[in-house]
Amino acid sequence: MKRTLILTLAVCALLASAIFAFADIPRPKSTPVQGKTILYSGLTVTSDPKGYEARLQISQGTLKHLQEAAANSGDGGSMVQRVMHSSTRTIMAGTFMFLAISFAGIWFARSAERRNNKAIAAVFLVAIVFGLATVIVRANAGPPGYIRWQTLPQSLLDGKETAGGVQIELVPGDDNMKLIIPLRKTKGPGEE
Amino acid sequence: MERAEKINIGVWREPRVGTRTHVNARAFAAILIGSACVSAALATWLPLQVSIVSVFLFAGPHNWFEARYFLTRLPARFGRSRNFFMVAFSGIGLLTLAYILLPALYYANIWSGANWPNAIAGWNTLMILWIGALVLMRGRQKANRDWFWVLPVAFALCALNWLAPELFSLAIVYVHPLVALWFLDRHLRRTKPEWLKTYRRCLAVLPLLLAGILWQLSRTPSLADDNGLFWRITQHAGADLLPNISSHLLVSTHLFLEMLHYGVWIAALPLIGATGAIWRVKSIPIASHSRGFPKLIGVFLICGLVAVAALWFGFSANYTLTRDVYFAVAMAHVLAEAPFLLRMI
Repeated sequence: MKRTLILTLAVCALLASAIFAFADIPRPKSTPVQGKTILYSGLTVTSDPKGYEARLQISQGTLKHLQEAAANSGDGGSMVQRVMHSSTRTIMAGTFMFLAISFAGIWFARSAERRNNKAIAAVFLVAIVFGLATVIVRANAGPPGYIRWQTLPQSLLDGKETAGGVQIELVPGDDNMKLIIPLRKTKGPGEE
Repeated sequence: MERAEKINIGVWREPRVGTRTHVNARAFAAILIGSACVSAALATWLPLQVSIVSVFLFAGPHNWFEARYFLTRLPARFGRSRNFFMVAFSGIGLLTLAYILLPALYYANIWSGANWPNAIAGWNTLMILWIGALVLMRGRQKANRDWFWVLPVAFALCALNWLAPELFSLAIVYVHPLVALWFLDRHLRRTKPEWLKTYRRCLAVLPLLLAGILWQLSRTPSLADDNGLFWRITQHAGADLLPNISSHLLVSTHLFLEMLHYGVWIAALPLIGATGAIWRVKSIPIASHSRGFPKLIGVFLICGLVAVAALWFGFSANYTLTRDVYFAVAMAHVLAEAPFLLRMI
């Protein structure tokens, strides 16, 4: 009972120390207002030699998704951005990581007497495999979105379609719509 | 108490002559591999169409077979497992209710859907902790087993869940069909151990088929989700969360796993006599026991059949709406698998 009480107090003290750790976080830098990504969709760019005006065609389904996304854009941003900027989720994840490591330590200490070397080796092996898998998966991640747009200038000249992903952003103000294509400068033959 | 435990053991005896299968291990392996290959081919070839047809045909019946199987595994008297089952059934009920309430509140305009990821993360956390509690309770019933390690694992999963709740939920969608294969493994181990080796060798084909699907579809264009139903199917497979992966690959992979899931519950387990003759209520311990509830179980199973028929009718009348309702309510059977699988470990 006494040991449990001490253990509980120690855990509480550690959790309380998080407040002081949080106080040491530097003030975030102020950044200019950026558009919030509310929807990821696809875009096809094509030319029309007979047309007089540029046209933007949106399917009814996409428009509906766009309206829904705009309505629910209270916590906008991409998934990664949301994770980065969601303090609640970061705190919860951190707390559970802390609990996981703490209880893993208790389990390790508890099983010290009847420790099974094979089991420990298996745990380390799994950890190594996961680590390697993470590296491999990151290495094999799909090509970045801009790759699909590299052929756009030539396709426009040839009158062909170019399709790729597009993030739809909401920006403040009432300016015209703007399409930003991620084109990278490619070096021509003989250029350095 | 001992008596109650013995009743449960009786369920695992060799199937009676009437239900005994005449299939040998090789034929069983051939059926398994053949079915898996056909499923993979269909899922790759016509993912959206086969998904619609398979959900229409098998979603209801597989739930009925699963419910019947769980009834067969339910002891007539809980004995020292009373607390385990109390926690199990409370968790199934409350978690399912919460899972249905989230979209219901949203569609009823009571909740704006703000902080949806946090709500999902909270639900996932409760589910993980519930399963963790069940594992610990089950571990206490087994001598010489220390399952304390489940706590750090559960907390680590909770942490991952809070980092990416939507991806964690998607992982559940993909992992759930595989649980059926685990059930089959445990059942074969007890009823047909001579088939177990063959079965586990057959499982080695699964990653090969998944790798084949991945290789075949990784560069294919995404499926045209230009109507509400197709969009729902691609979203269910994670097309929104994984935009850089072809939705054709995602839907095919998920459909392939789902078809295996349906196959195990509707074909494989009945084939090896796991559920007994499906029309015989007396093969269920809780019905056949002297202090059991044969009428209640009979009515429950008939109501289940009516629900299956109602589901078919719903799919015929409004497929999209019925699909949405089904996948919300079907969370109950996903959750129910946890305690019954633990009882078999």
